[in-house]
Amino acid sequence: MKHSKDPFEAAIEEEQEESPPESPVGGGGGGDGSEEGRAEIDQTAEEDERPVDVRRPAKKSKTSVVVTESKNKDEDEEEEEENMEVELTKYPTSADPAKMAKMQTILSQFTEDQMSRYESFRRSALQRPQMKKLLIGVTGSQKIGMPMIIVVCGIAKMFVGELVETARVVMAERKESGPIRPCHIRESYRRLKLEGKVPKRSVPRLFR
Amino acid sequence: MSGNTPATAASSSKSKAAGTSQPQEKRKTLFQKELQHMMYGFGDEQNPLPETVALVEDIVVEYVTDLTHKAQEIGSKRGRLLVDDFLYLIRKDLPKLNRCRELLAMQEELKQARKAFDVDEKELVD
Repeated sequence: MKHSKDPFEAAIEEEQEESPPESPVGGGGGGDGSEEGRAEIDQTAEEDERPVDVRRPAKKSKTSVVVTESKNKDEDEEEEEENMEVELTKYPTSADPAKMAKMQTILSQFTEDQMSRYESFRRSALQRPQMKKLLIGVTGSQKIGMPMIIVVCGIAKMFVGELVETARVVMAERKESGPIRPCHIRESYRRLKLEGKVPKRSVPRLFR
Repeated sequence: MSGNTPATAASSSKSKAAGTSQPQEKRKTLFQKELQHMMYGFGDEQNPLPETVALVEDIVVEYVTDLTHKAQEIGSKRGRLLVDDFLYLIRKDLPKLNRCRELLAMQEELKQARKAFDVDEKELVD
């Protein structure tokens, strides 16, 4: 799922074609998929649409795109903007239409539960100001470039994913259910270390 | 927590809220809220256990710290710390590498788009 084109984007792209970008819930609910699922995405994914507008100036009139953008971008700091934009995947025109169609069919069959979980998966991100603070503290340098922060946030998010998924595997092995407990995370962390996915310190950590 | 002076009352109430038993410990969480949503997205329950979230946060901070230290070691050879140092470190982990390339490409596109937007705005004004 992480490699394929984003179905949110696919869904949003479809709706973009149907309605002007300024409409608050751009074509909300339009599409073949389950109405409920789509409506949920549309309303909550509204803020996703605005940055998507930026990427499709050819298809819409440039001025209208510009106007929408100016309302949203000028007030936001660059960091906040990019928070929204990181959720978006590859440029739609470079997306493989077959893959997109596949994702569409999968998405349309999601239950509410699955859809809400998927939404959390897509929208959650480590906050860039916090990450910047952390990186400045670790490196000691005063300036950290935005691309670096973005990359590290992405890497860390995927690492969290590996941790949680491995923890679930551990729970399945132990035949336990319910919320993930710290012991599962610790076992999952140990396994990731064995796989070599965790950077090893050349000097062991003292006085944690 | 009897006998606390007003100065420490705030910190002890903070630590109480965070769930630690020692009044001196202050858990400064960096990513707590977002981590809860993220863990739900990756497979945990809607409300993950706070101790689990705290542990994951610690692990992530340690991961980022170690990764950054290693990147700095690599970067120091050529002078500055660059994004490429991070990319080099995760070169073996293909999902992460591809995701980073995606993110960087997106950021470039958005930069271009914003540039185009600024140019358009100027044209509108003229």
